[in-house]
Amino acid sequence: MIRLPACLAVVVAMVLGLVAGSPARAVQQSVQQGERDEDTGLRLLREAAAAARGRGYSGTQYVTTWGRSGSFSSMVEVRNVPGRGLSVSSRPSGTAGWVDPGTPAGSMAAPSETMLEVLARNYRVVDAGRTRTGGRAAHLVDVLRTDGTPAARYWLDESGGLALRRELFDGRGRTVHVGGFLDLTLDPVARGSVVPVPPPGGLDLGEVPELLDRGWRFPAELPGRLELFAAHTAPAGYLYLGYSDGLSVVSVFVDSGVLDGEKLRGWHAQRHDGHTIWMRNSAEQGTIWASGDHVYTVFADAPADTVDAAVAALPHEPAPNLWNRLGRGAHRLLSWVNPFG
Amino acid sequence: MSHLGERVSALVDGELNHHERDRALSHLAFCASCRAEVEAMRALKSRLRSLDGPAMPADLTMSLLRMADPGDPLPPRERPFPSGSRTFGGAPIPGMHTVAPPDNRPRGRAASTRRARRVGYVAVGVASAAVAIGTLFVVGGPDPGPRVPPVDMFANQHRNTAPYGGSATPSFSPTP
Repeated sequence: MIRLPACLAVVVAMVLGLVAGSPARAVQQSVQQGERDEDTGLRLLREAAAAARGRGYSGTQYVTTWGRSGSFSSMVEVRNVPGRGLSVSSRPSGTAGWVDPGTPAGSMAAPSETMLEVLARNYRVVDAGRTRTGGRAAHLVDVLRTDGTPAARYWLDESGGLALRRELFDGRGRTVHVGGFLDLTLDPVARGSVVPVPPPGGLDLGEVPELLDRGWRFPAELPGRLELFAAHTAPAGYLYLGYSDGLSVVSVFVDSGVLDGEKLRGWHAQRHDGHTIWMRNSAEQGTIWASGDHVYTVFADAPADTVDAAVAALPHEPAPNLWNRLGRGAHRLLSWVNPFG
Repeated sequence: MSHLGERVSALVDGELNHHERDRALSHLAFCASCRAEVEAMRALKSRLRSLDGPAMPADLTMSLLRMADPGDPLPPRERPFPSGSRTFGGAPIPGMHTVAPPDNRPRGRAASTRRARRVGYVAVGVASAAVAIGTLFVVGGPDPGPRVPPVDMFANQHRNTAPYGGSATPSFSPTP
């Protein structure tokens, strides 16, 4: 009579152990882990990008950016007209213009499909649940670095899909950019109206072989997972290089000449590792420096630490001297006599 | 006078001087034995001169020809110092049969000519280098002058560039 309950207890324990360690439970844990690893929020960002380009709306936005030397805030009136673009009017300055909603001037509201793919490659995009902002129901989407720290957070309108609010964080978790709607009015969707298909986008690197043949040298990547997405020369003669990690944008302009720092108004010089770098207190964190017989100018919508790392990775060569001129002459002579040049 | 002895052969060969020859002939007028000995010596030498040289055997000649048979003719002999026209460092190399020693006397006019030639070489080299450097300097062009980048245009382009937007040319319009 005493041994029977003991046997039952042993059997129950064995069954529970088998259930706990069964393959079905392992599969369930794997699925949950996979859901955590998947970019569950990428579909929401894709819908938001399509809505920002194809849905008519108007509203008031505030934008605050924390740069190297403080914060910069502005309020803008926006109106999106599908097929035409985004009209942006700044309240303090009153300047207005039509911009592409996929640009920094358009608050990166409608990134291209290619940029979203780059974002998903460099970060983990997860659906973080539902919340409310500005009196509207929203989906919360987190963009996480590989170490799990947040790089960005989106509030996406449940009814219209638009990005109601967007925040960026630097590597130490500090907020470096906040942009969102104070008020938003969605235009009614007309029956039979066709929503424009967002452009797939792509790289603008078709000119790279010619640039390399002409002697230009530039990195394909910059620190912070910034990848080169555009490289071309402008009619004015300067070289434009665009870098992005799918979230931030860093623009590099390389112009021939020697920098005349004394004529830079509104810029202050700083010494970094023996080189002089001019900076301007602005939301774009403008940076100028001379390298050899070229002048580099950088504007960025990115955390300050990312911009500083990118600037440090770009060339910082001493001023040209007689040997540089002789070397330039030798290079030209060789290019003239080179039958394959 | 004693008998001629060993002087018989010298007399026959005509190797005695005038005085010895007169004394020898005077002795022969009174000495029959020496006269007979001279006559015998003359007859012997006359006979030896009339003999033919030794003939080479025919089999020896054939054996020597067979030794060189399938090979080519022997190369000409090389002399360690072939000719007197070769020089080393400007000084002639003495030939094997050169009698006179090389001329090591200090050179006056030749040294000055060589020095002038060396100076000429240096001058030509310096002139060539100057022309090359000048060419590179001119072809290299002047250094670009100091300038200020068009920062407002750059900032405008940055704000209006859509990342990964493809190769479409962005439109730069006034932006806030």
